[in-house]
Formats: sequence, C-alpha cells, structure tokens
Amino acid sequence: MKDLLQIINKEFLLVARSGYGVFMPVAYLLIIMILFNISISFVDKKITQELIPLMIWISCLLICILNLETIFKEDYEDGSLEMFLINKKNIESTIIAKIFTHWVSSNFPVVIIAPMVALLLGLDSHTAMILFISLLIGTPSLTLIGSIAAALTISLRSNKILLSLMVLPLYIPILIYGTNAVNNSYFGISYQGEITMMILLFILFLLITPFTCAKALLVALD
Amino acid sequence: MMTNIIIETKDITLYRNDSKIFEGISLDIEKTKLLNIFGRNGSGKTSLLKILTGVTEPTSGIVLNRSDDETLYEKIIYVGHKSGLKNNLTVNENLYYFIKPEEQNKTTKIDRALEIYQMMHCKNILVKNLSHGQQKKVSLMKTIIADAKVWILDEPYSALDAESIKIFDMTIENYIKQEGSVVVTNHKKITENSWSKNYQLN
Repeated sequence: MKDLLQIINKEFLLVARSGYGVFMPVAYLLIIMILFNISISFVDKKITQELIPLMIWISCLLICILNLETIFKEDYEDGSLEMFLINKKNIESTIIAKIFTHWVSSNFPVVIIAPMVALLLGLDSHTAMILFISLLIGTPSLTLIGSIAAALTISLRSNKILLSLMVLPLYIPILIYGTNAVNNSYFGISYQGEITMMILLFILFLLITPFTCAKALLVALD
Repeated sequence: MMTNIIIETKDITLYRNDSKIFEGISLDIEKTKLLNIFGRNGSGKTSLLKILTGVTEPTSGIVLNRSDDETLYEKIIYVGHKSGLKNNLTVNENLYYFIKPEEQNKTTKIDRALEIYQMMHCKNILVKNLSHGQQKKVSLMKTIIADAKVWILDEPYSALDAESIKIFDMTIENYIKQEGSVVVTNHKKITENSWSKNYQLN
C-alpha cells in the first residue's frame, strides 16, 4: 500500500511539473462544443438539445484516445519501465497507479467540465447529472482498455494510429451504454440498466487490465 | 554443501529474427564476485544481461535462481543504457522515489551517495539540466542507496571521467566486501584478481 502511494505521489509530481498539458483535454472539449454549436445553429433547437449530451459523450471518448500513448511512453523512453519489470514486485500495482494518475490528470477534468458545458447549453440538470455519472464510470473503462493497447504498441515508433485503430472497436460498447443512459434520462425513461452494465464493465476491466498490461509490457520489451 | 552461486545459466542460446546472437552460454553469478562480460559491439552483451534479469526469455537453455532467496529479483539493481531518471524531477527527488517507502533514513542515504560521487552541489538541480556524464553518475548512485543483492550494470563506464571511474571502482570493491555480487558489461578486459573475472562474448 505504501509503495502504491509513493508511486501515485511521484506520478502526480511529474504531472505537476509537466506544464500546461493538463489543460489540453478541457480545451479540446470546449473547442469541439463551441464549433458544434456554431455549425448546428440553424437546426431546430429541440433537436440540438437532444444531440448535445451525445455529442459531449463522443468528444470525451475521442479526447480519451488523444493522449493514451503517454501512459507508459515516458517510462519506456527513460528506462524506468525496464527497472520495475525486473524487480518483479508490485508490477500490477504500479500499472494501476499509473493508469489512475493518467485518468485523474487527463480525463477527470473533462468529466467535471462536460456536465457544466451541457448545463450552459441548456440541458436539464437531471440529465446533466446522469451525463456526469455515466462519464465518471465510463471513462475509467476507456482508459483501462486503452492502457492495454498502449502497452502492446509501446515499442513502435509511431504507435498513435495503430493505437486508435485498436481501441476504437473496443470503445463502442461503452459508448452505446453511455449515450443510451444519457438519452434515456433525457426522455424520462429508465437508465439504471445501462449504468449497471457500465459499472460491471468497469469492474471487469479493472480486474483484467493490470495482468494483461504487465504481460504486454514484457512482450514489448523482449 | 554451501554454494556461492546466485544465478546460474545453462547453455543459453538467443536468436533474434532468425539470426543467431549467441549460443551455448553457461555462466554463474557468484556471491562476492565481479563478473566482467566483454565483447565487441553487437555481441549480445545487453541481451545477455536482459536474460539474466529475467526480462527476456532465451530461445533455448535455462536461467536458474540458485540463491536461497525466492524474492531475489526484487533485490537486483539494473542500470541500463537508459538512465531510468525522470527529467522533470531533481536529483534528490529521483533518488528519493527510488528508495522503498518502508526504509528509514532516506535523506542520509541520499546525502552519502551524493558525497561519494562529489555531486552535493547538484542535489536540487533538475536532471534534464545535468550533463550526460552527471546523469550517468546519478543513475549509478542508485546502486549505493538501494539495499540489493546483485548489481547488473550495462556499460557503466561509458560517459564517466577518470575520477568518476575511480570512485565507481571503489564502490564496487566495497560492495563486494559486503557480500554483494556485480555483473558489468564492458568493451574491454579487466585485470583479474581474487574477486573478479572476465567472460568473453563473441
């Protein structure tokens, strides 16, 4: 446990030292939403209201892919990855710590800002709440899936395109559940089923990701 | 019979992309011994070290942990070509996070390592602002501050100046006296004595 806290502590210090990178995802979300609203300004207001939460979900998903490769990249390049794979202790917890800090620093700000943007654009507060909850449960699964792909492609020089191609099909179930939950809430239908499924998917990926990632990193370093 | 062997390799062969890197290597890492693996560039020194550390699997042959310690691999310090240092952290922070959280006297350990390598003035400088040689020295300091059984060092002498090499040799000698064992790769032979030997790769 102490090891885990020390790793998380180090990762956050690194994020804090890395400059303005943290604000990029939020900036992307704002840009996408502004452009989206400008381009659909001539469409019936009622239809745009329906589309806004879905559009926000898709933006969050794409933003999630944007910096996936950075999860292990720096450690691979400076050699610290080799070191923690050699000292076979704590591989899984180190990986979880890395994924956690990555999610907090690059996805959590978006999860916070997204419902606020939705409220500003006139979404009702209940649906905004469901949007927040679905993103809060959904984006960690996205990061977990993405980290497996990031680990597998780490030794490739330009892995960004391959990484996106690998993760996009795997992201679709979570996108469907997330957007359905928000949509159902907008129309006042039950959305508990979708939320439960997303929680289950999150737990599933939380359980398999550390081991899969550890194996993938060992293969990549071979 | 008490054996001094910690890691033993038996007849290991490594192929990469269908071409042979090395074949039939059997060597022992012994307690209180320095093993100097030397050979020309591309002879597979780094690959051999990676097999010894267990990161890479050999194509054939086996690597055995002959020490009585199940957790031996947790007590290996590996310093490779890449420094393993974070550019955006200071020397002090890098070394601090390298020490296990349960250990005591972290600051004294770091200070002692910095003093041995005469780098006290660099304590609070970001690693990215150090020269290549200085970064190498910081990554070698990890060997002093960690509580390890084996040091496995890949070309530790590259980028070091004469004085640093002297300091480094001294730390190896001290470590061997404290029952440690060291494996280094090198491009040349070293003079053998009671606690050091050479192994040629070709």
